[in-house]
Amino acid sequence: MDFTTFVKPTNGGGDAEASNKSLQFWKHVEYIENHGKQEDDYEYCMTEFLRMSGIYWGTTALDIMGQLDRLERKFIIDFVKRCQCPTTGGFAPCEGHDPHLLYTLSAVQILCTYDALDEIDCEAVVRFVVGLQQPDGSFFGDKWGEVDTRFSFCAVATLTLLQRLEQSIDVEKAVKFVLSCCNQTDGGFGSKPGAESHAGLIYCCVGFFSLTNRLHLVDVDKLGWWLCERQLPSGGLNGRPEKLPDVCYSWWVLASLTIMGRLHWISSEKLQQFILSCQDLETGGFSDRTGNMPDIFHTLFGIGGLSLLGHSGLKPINPTLCMPQYIIDRLDIKPQILARS
Amino acid sequence: MHGRVKVRTTEEERERKKKEQALKVRAYRAAMGRIQKKREAGELDSEMLTLTVQILQRNPDVSTLWNIRRECVLDKLAKLKAEAAEKEAETPKEEENTEGAAEKNDSQPEDKSQAVFTTELDLTEQCLMVNPKSYNAWHHRCWTLEQNPRADWQRELLLCNKYLKFDERNFHTWDYRRYVTEKAAVPAAQELDFCTEKIKVNFSNYSSWHHRSLLLPELYPNERRDRPMSEEKLQQELDMVLTAAFTDPNDSSAWFYQRWLLGSGAELDRVPKVAAFRLGAKGAVLALDKPNPELNKLPIELVSGDEKWQLQNWQSVDSGKTAWKLQQAFDCPKTKSLTLKLADQEVNLSPIPNSDGFYYFVPPHAVASCSKELLAELQTQLQSCLDLLEYEPDSKWTLLTSALLMRAIDVSANHDQSLTHLTKLEKVDALREGYYKDLAARWVLESELAKWPQAADFPTKFELAEEKSLASLPLGQYLIIADELKVSPKLREELGERLPKSFGDLEL
Repeated sequence: MDFTTFVKPTNGGGDAEASNKSLQFWKHVEYIENHGKQEDDYEYCMTEFLRMSGIYWGTTALDIMGQLDRLERKFIIDFVKRCQCPTTGGFAPCEGHDPHLLYTLSAVQILCTYDALDEIDCEAVVRFVVGLQQPDGSFFGDKWGEVDTRFSFCAVATLTLLQRLEQSIDVEKAVKFVLSCCNQTDGGFGSKPGAESHAGLIYCCVGFFSLTNRLHLVDVDKLGWWLCERQLPSGGLNGRPEKLPDVCYSWWVLASLTIMGRLHWISSEKLQQFILSCQDLETGGFSDRTGNMPDIFHTLFGIGGLSLLGHSGLKPINPTLCMPQYIIDRLDIKPQILARS
Repeated sequence: MHGRVKVRTTEEERERKKKEQALKVRAYRAAMGRIQKKREAGELDSEMLTLTVQILQRNPDVSTLWNIRRECVLDKLAKLKAEAAEKEAETPKEEENTEGAAEKNDSQPEDKSQAVFTTELDLTEQCLMVNPKSYNAWHHRCWTLEQNPRADWQRELLLCNKYLKFDERNFHTWDYRRYVTEKAAVPAAQELDFCTEKIKVNFSNYSSWHHRSLLLPELYPNERRDRPMSEEKLQQELDMVLTAAFTDPNDSSAWFYQRWLLGSGAELDRVPKVAAFRLGAKGAVLALDKPNPELNKLPIELVSGDEKWQLQNWQSVDSGKTAWKLQQAFDCPKTKSLTLKLADQEVNLSPIPNSDGFYYFVPPHAVASCSKELLAELQTQLQSCLDLLEYEPDSKWTLLTSALLMRAIDVSANHDQSLTHLTKLEKVDALREGYYKDLAARWVLESELAKWPQAADFPTKFELAEEKSLASLPLGQYLIIADELKVSPKLREELGERLPKSFGDLEL
């Protein structure tokens, strides 16, 4: 089905025939567009501690659907600018909160999407990221000292988007740390040395090697096997053995396999069916699993997963940075991706 | 948001909930407003602690509030330190020497600081009850303990035991356990016992198997490093894991562990080795057994007696960075002994039969050492798997594991049989059809490359005898020394650009 030829229904409602087998394109657009319009909404208020990421999830999903203009560019850019900490240069999730690497990456991703990096002090962001690297190559998330491979990914992704990966952090040391989090049993990665392999962290580490051009350090056959074993009979993927399938884990595994040139080790068709079954047919949006409550986070990973699987009507997405490919091309960034052997 | 089932509610119920939520939003906003005002004013007092508790107990993910608490703790500790210093200055010397006097007084600064730590630890525990996967709460617990020189690590160990009883797969708890055992200097052997107990309670516990995989290589190292642990221990582990796997053959945890046990141990930090090399009048080609994008940073030279030739400026010819070419004119030395040196490696080249030039080739897949006892164990295991397959011919994990066991016992004798298992797996485990096809192709190539040196036109011609229906051509870098690849037109078409480069294709 080609959604590019669709006209938005005036009543905002879906097709009475709509089944969970086809993408409820306009419902999702509406879901994202309305997200946050009611500022007093309980969920919205209680998730303000990750607002910046929420905006990244929403803008990226809309952009993949070719509907970015539904959100007000100026309003969003002004918000992002207000969240840059004048002292550290990092970004807070929203005003009144503290800066952190997680939200710094989200902020930079949003600004790249809007081609608005010139609106902020980029050098201050670089200083923030560089200041969080530790002598062993790892990264703190903020000054309070939590170490995690997620932060290694956030650091190199932020610097890559700012075109400042060179001559800023010690890349060799950063690589060494991430490699020390690799597990011999399954070739996967955890959050720190010795931590159990987990699809979300594998995505961060594989993405890290993709950005630092060092995918040869990954045991692709061993890890690829463990990753393809995440697919369950429902077609959905889980994050660890004997866990339930989930739309977000589906993205992380799918993106990692794509970067490693092993997408053909799972059934794309079954995965697509699973993702589509997680759509909320009433409100729009995707949930973690069939029949659960939708949220903006799973909505991006649902849309992103379908894009990576080549679903029609969606713009191509870059598996490493989880952003529309045209933006990555515009920035002239080329994250490494392995060819199929 | 994970695992929240969408439930249908009545209009009335919805309204009630909406009102309730509106109140919560108002309370949250009021508390956050007050907290921010106080922070700006530098009021890191007990009211601040009370305000942050109210929100964190419901929502431990608001990381800024944990930051504020840490500021309060540091502020308080600094004040107590100043107080202690002041007291010390005031106290007459004699009293200081009186045994026990200090301990009796419970308002001593040291006790007060312990109370500060206890408050934080108690709060993290309350929050972990609400959300045992809160990154923030776990981190705050670590941070608090790091501030306390008198931290009670044994107590933390008991906390891990308690949380692992609630959820034996919570990776936060396992991570925390590894952190605590290091601090408490728990011997690895004791941790292994804990692990064994956990696995006995429930075989389906990938987290526990993982923890075990970290301890065993440390406790029972394999000196040759071609197996994950000593052969004796390996045998015991194989025995234990198979019992676990047979308890529920559909549970993947034990099977993953089993495949690791059958593997060749630490490969990750091994440097890439020369797999194949060919030297002609116009240049040379080189294949590595694993990728090294920085080949040009290594010293590479040819040596014949006292003569040496530097080989510089290699260009990679595959995306995997395992196959390389060098454009450089050579007057091939008229000698029989020529050695290639690549960093620390040294390999002797052989002259190409009926042609000019030299080559080197060693097929992939070195078989790991295997004692008689280990071999016997593997054979017993294989028999058990084959017995199970009699009853459950479609048992996926048994099919795969038996194929792996066959190859560990005798790769060439069991070649065809192990491939039959993969063909069957393509059907019974259709989601991963692509994986089994690629694995079969790899096994076929390994077998073909092992036989290649005996072929008539080796190394100038490579012919894929087993045409089969290969989906890919892994290990293609080994073929770079051939002038010509003979593969079926179908495979050639399937591979397209991915067809491995051969010596004949290259413009040297």
